Amino acid sequence: MSSISESVWFPLCSLLYIAVMLHWVRVSARMNAGDGGFFSAAHSLAPWLSALVIAGASLAAWFVLGAGGAISDDGFSMPVYLVGGVLVALPGIVFFKRVWFAAERLRVSSQAEIFRAYFQSPFLVAVVALVAVLFAIGFSGLQIRAFASIASVLSGGALSPLVASTVFGFVLFAGVGIGGMRALGYFGFIQAALVFCAIVALAGFALSWSGGFAALNANLYQLAMSPENARFFSVDGIIRFTGGLGRGGDAATSHTAIANLSLAFALMGFQASPLVLKVVLSTRSPNGFAAGQTWVTAGFFGALIIFAIAIAGLAGLLDPALRLVPLLDAMQVSSPWFAAWIFIGIGAGVQLLAGLSLFVAGETLVRHLYKPYFNAALGQRATITLTRVVIAVLTVAALVMQNLTPVTVSALAGLALPAAFQLWVPMLGVTWLGWITRPAAVIGVGFGLAGVVLTEPLGYQLLSFLGLELPWGRWPWTIHSAVWGMAANVTAVLIISAITNRNALCEEAREVRKLYATLLASGGEARRFRAFAWSAVLAWFFLAVGPGLIFGNTAFTGGDSAAPVWLLGMPSLWAWALAAWILGVGLAWFLSYKMEMASPVTVEIPPYEPPPRLRPDQSRAERERLGILVITGAVSFALVVLIAFSFGG
Amino acid sequence: MSGHAKVERNLLVFAAWATSGFSALAFFLEGLARDSYLLSLAGVALVVVTFAIHIVINAVSDCGFSAGEATLGIGAFGVLALVFIAAWLDGGLTAVDYWSGLTLFGVLVCGFLLYLSTRHGLRGAFSRFHFKPAESGNEPR
Repeated sequence: MSSISESVWFPLCSLLYIAVMLHWVRVSARMNAGDGGFFSAAHSLAPWLSALVIAGASLAAWFVLGAGGAISDDGFSMPVYLVGGVLVALPGIVFFKRVWFAAERLRVSSQAEIFRAYFQSPFLVAVVALVAVLFAIGFSGLQIRAFASIASVLSGGALSPLVASTVFGFVLFAGVGIGGMRALGYFGFIQAALVFCAIVALAGFALSWSGGFAALNANLYQLAMSPENARFFSVDGIIRFTGGLGRGGDAATSHTAIANLSLAFALMGFQASPLVLKVVLSTRSPNGFAAGQTWVTAGFFGALIIFAIAIAGLAGLLDPALRLVPLLDAMQVSSPWFAAWIFIGIGAGVQLLAGLSLFVAGETLVRHLYKPYFNAALGQRATITLTRVVIAVLTVAALVMQNLTPVTVSALAGLALPAAFQLWVPMLGVTWLGWITRPAAVIGVGFGLAGVVLTEPLGYQLLSFLGLELPWGRWPWTIHSAVWGMAANVTAVLIISAITNRNALCEEAREVRKLYATLLASGGEARRFRAFAWSAVLAWFFLAVGPGLIFGNTAFTGGDSAAPVWLLGMPSLWAWALAAWILGVGLAWFLSYKMEMASPVTVEIPPYEPPPRLRPDQSRAERERLGILVITGAVSFALVVLIAFSFGG
Repeated sequence: MSGHAKVERNLLVFAAWATSGFSALAFFLEGLARDSYLLSLAGVALVVVTFAIHIVINAVSDCGFSAGEATLGIGAFGVLALVFIAAWLDGGLTAVDYWSGLTLFGVLVCGFLLYLSTRHGLRGAFSRFHFKPAESGNEPR
């Protein structure tokens, strides 16, 4: 085909994609006008639709861009990515069903509202907003940056990354700002399907251009025979007591089993984040959670990761010309229709995640922070308008930052997952562990966030700016910041729960606990299997992503060390991860159905009717709060400037 | 069909054509570009698969093709047929291009007739095209 076809398919597919998106935005906006479903799609998303959207947002785009690149860089030394499908599914199994019922009882539709109702804590609402903003600006900004670079390459340089990301920003805002949650749900389904196909097609090309599965493994074997490449095919011990990256820790030898385990926990933060819970609480029935988490996320997307994304990443490890961007560039010449389609698929995945995070950040800032605490008189229409304005501002901020301050965006992106993981504790408090008290949850999350920030580059740089040099670097002892934060979080929660009154629950919290004790009480079979379930989970974590990974280094290798034989024709760690994925799907099924953690329940939940309370005029209190906020901000700024001027640089 | 059911049916149709349908197109074009009848055939097979998915979605949703879908489908068929005939007259078609095109159009026509006959019966399928003047509304009642 001529060079015309090379240049035509990319813009043609992009325009078609935008046209389809605008169609669904229009459909959503028209339906929103009828039932006011801008913020939660009127709780009408079908369970199968939510399952796909959750899986697509949880895994697709950042696994193609992130995990694929990590495998190309480090081979199998971080096998945690390969079982990402199971890891991301597990939190959903633990939380979704119970949180959906709690939300249905209290008639709320977001994580911030759940925390406000259950713990009555503005701090937790603010943390939810912070996590959402971190996802919107940092986590998504990083992916928009990568995506804009690909767009620039595919357009032959005609589009600069700045222009590409600006166009993408407009598309993002059109999708989210106009259609709201309903557009995210409806078009998110198509986006998830597109990104899935793009991953398969990408892996197909990578495999085909690598000479097939056998040739790929033969080349990997050849690579493994060279001693300097051995690190690509093994996990580097259990732990290394280094000071962390930047403080004596070496990136090449930091891929230990504990690094894998702690990164696994960070990945598990995603489904405890406000983004995914927004989709969960916009779903009309909880009956799809078990199937969605077991078969769609752990099974289907898990398979996609362990086969397709692994193959695409490994092709890049063997030949840099087969990494994502050069591969797409080469495809642009030989098969421009496939290149355009894969590009659109990856873009759809990025848009799904970025759109969801922008929407949740905008909603939380306006509807859960500004309105209840600073302007209770704000009407529904004005709230939607203001949310749209905030989404636009956040979009612009993300675009400006990822173009002008990429280092800061990276630092913020690094905080998103571990910060979301800190929300596990209050989520467990709402769903399972009723003894977690309000002060414990609040202080625990505070300590958790401090632990995360102090073991990530952002905290390191901030303190350095103020003149305080931390004695450790990023991820001391090869432990990810998610686990450092969680250690501080859990310690604080245990101590404070022990010394505070565990029965001091507000009325909404008592309603939720009553609901769990009656309608969602475990059956006899689930109670009988409880010990086995704990053992199975711990064993899986130990072997699949924990210290047991070092067995995987050689478990499927025979022969002597001079001429090892790969017993399954593939690297031992790949086979080990494959076995862990299969067992992980079984574990997800067992927890979802047998342990009834996500199994379908069909009952009517009557809305909770709060006792009638007088609503005094809030305007005076709101003005005072605003004053306090402004004064606190001004004093903090002055203190920061003063400290930085005195000690820092 | 309720509003939600209709929207969900349309979503499934969009997703099917965006994924399976576009991959059919890509494989067909790949076959033409590489002069490989096998690849083109894979594209044609995927078109059939996509139509089958569409019909299954219709069956589950208890409806048929909408007027817009039928118009778009027949219109696209007509445009493709015109392009094929123009390329044939121009003489730029290789043997693989020629047979790929004929296979695609043959399969589409056969599939269309098969669909009509299974859905409406042979006599009913004929009636879909044969409008009596009284039915067209031109005759005075």
